[in-house]
Parts: sequence; C-alpha cells; structure tokens
Amino acid sequence: MDQELKLTSELKNDCLVLTTSGYVNNSGGEKIAAEFNKHFSDGTKKIILNLADSKVVNSIGISFLIEIIEKLNESDGKLVFTNLDPAVEKTLTIMGLFNFAAKENSVEDALKFFEQ
Amino acid sequence: MDHDIQLKMSLPNIANIELVAVEALERMAQHLGINNEKIGDGRILVTEAVINALEHSGQKRPTVRVEFTMTKEKLAIFVRDYGKGFKPEEIEDPNINEKLSAVNKRGWGLKLMKSMSDDFLIESNQNGTKITIIKNLI
Repeated sequence: MDQELKLTSELKNDCLVLTTSGYVNNSGGEKIAAEFNKHFSDGTKKIILNLADSKVVNSIGISFLIEIIEKLNESDGKLVFTNLDPAVEKTLTIMGLFNFAAKENSVEDALKFFEQ
Repeated sequence: MDHDIQLKMSLPNIANIELVAVEALERMAQHLGINNEKIGDGRILVTEAVINALEHSGQKRPTVRVEFTMTKEKLAIFVRDYGKGFKPEEIEDPNINEKLSAVNKRGWGLKLMKSMSDDFLIESNQNGTKITIIKNLI
C-alpha cells in the first residue's frame, strides 16, 4: 500500500480535476488542499476529486476536504467526489459531506454535472 | 467464534503505522474470503481506532496494542492504549454544519467507529483506554 499520496491535477474547461492515488491522511489532505488553494485563488470554483485509487482515508485527511468545501460554499463553488470506494463513500456520508458536496460515478459524469 | 484467526501487535507512534494494522487485517480477511465491502469498512475502523489511540492517549511515547479476532462471520477489533484515559460521555458527536465554520474541523474518529461498527464499546480510566469494535462480516 502506497503511504505517500500522489496527486495529479488537470484543468478541463473551467473545472479542476484532482486525482489521488494512495492514503488520504494528514499530509495527503494537506496536499489536496494546497493544490486546491492554488487554483481557487485564480478563480476556479468547480472542483472534481477523483478518489478511485484511494481506498484508505482517515478523518484527519478528510477534515482538509471540509476546509475546501467551506471555501467553495462561501463563493458559490462546488466540490464533486467521483469513483468512491464504498467504504470511503460511507465515511463521507457519516461525516455529512454530501450535504454540501456532490458525488458522481466518474469524472465524465462530474463534468456533465457542471455543464448543467 | 469457531475457526477464528487471531493477530496481536504492538504499534509505536510513527507515521502511518496504522497501515500495518490495515494490511494485516486485509491479509486475514482475504484468507477467510471476506467480501471487499466488509474489508473496506474494516480498513476505516482500524485506521480510526489506531490514530485515535495514538493521538489522544497523552503519553510521551505512545504505544498501542491492537488485536484482531476474525471468523467468516465476525471481526472483533481491540485497541488499547496506556494513556491518561478520557470520559466518553463528555465527547459530543461532531456536526458538519458546525465543523464547516469551526477552526478545528477534526474530531470525527469516535463517530465513525460508532456508526460503521455493529457493536462499539469504550472502557477508559486513568490507566488507559480500550476500544472494542465488532463488525459483522455476513
């Protein structure tokens, strides 16, 4: 199991697609938030977080995603999670994140979500 | 539990040590043919139990004892620290509405363990804390 979170980011139209691989822990969450902040300060408010290759998360890592949701909420933006492992989806549901963020099966579906 | 397999380990407080427990759990579950969804829940439960114990024990050099007992039907996870203990009844469940505007967005571990398990028990006193988590696997 990879311990170090690998993160790639790509701008598709006006959406930022963040794709992770590995453990979303404290430093992983921090890495996601730092990449988000870089683009958010440039005005990007449509964020897609593809967690297909992150089967293990912890609540400390997820707390950084709450920070992202807070900033997006305050600026009419949105975070969409995609490709969630069932246990990760359950974790985010228990924490209540889907009251403020969305989820889609794939990045393509998330891009369509933002087109609507 | 019939035909159970057991594993005991003692984990020091080093970065990502909880993944050692997660990998052990996965190996045991695969041996017993447990389905992926239940293994996923087990991953989250073990991760939260270990990081919670290491973070909150209050010891200078925390060590956490982890024990798994697994059958095809049931997983029992015991996590024990030797810290200062706490009063579980004083810990409020976090709420996303409050956490969104709060400076401290952490504190979800107990809620996750309670919600994802089928049975959850905390025994805590000044000599440490023992958490027992039961997860049905069928």
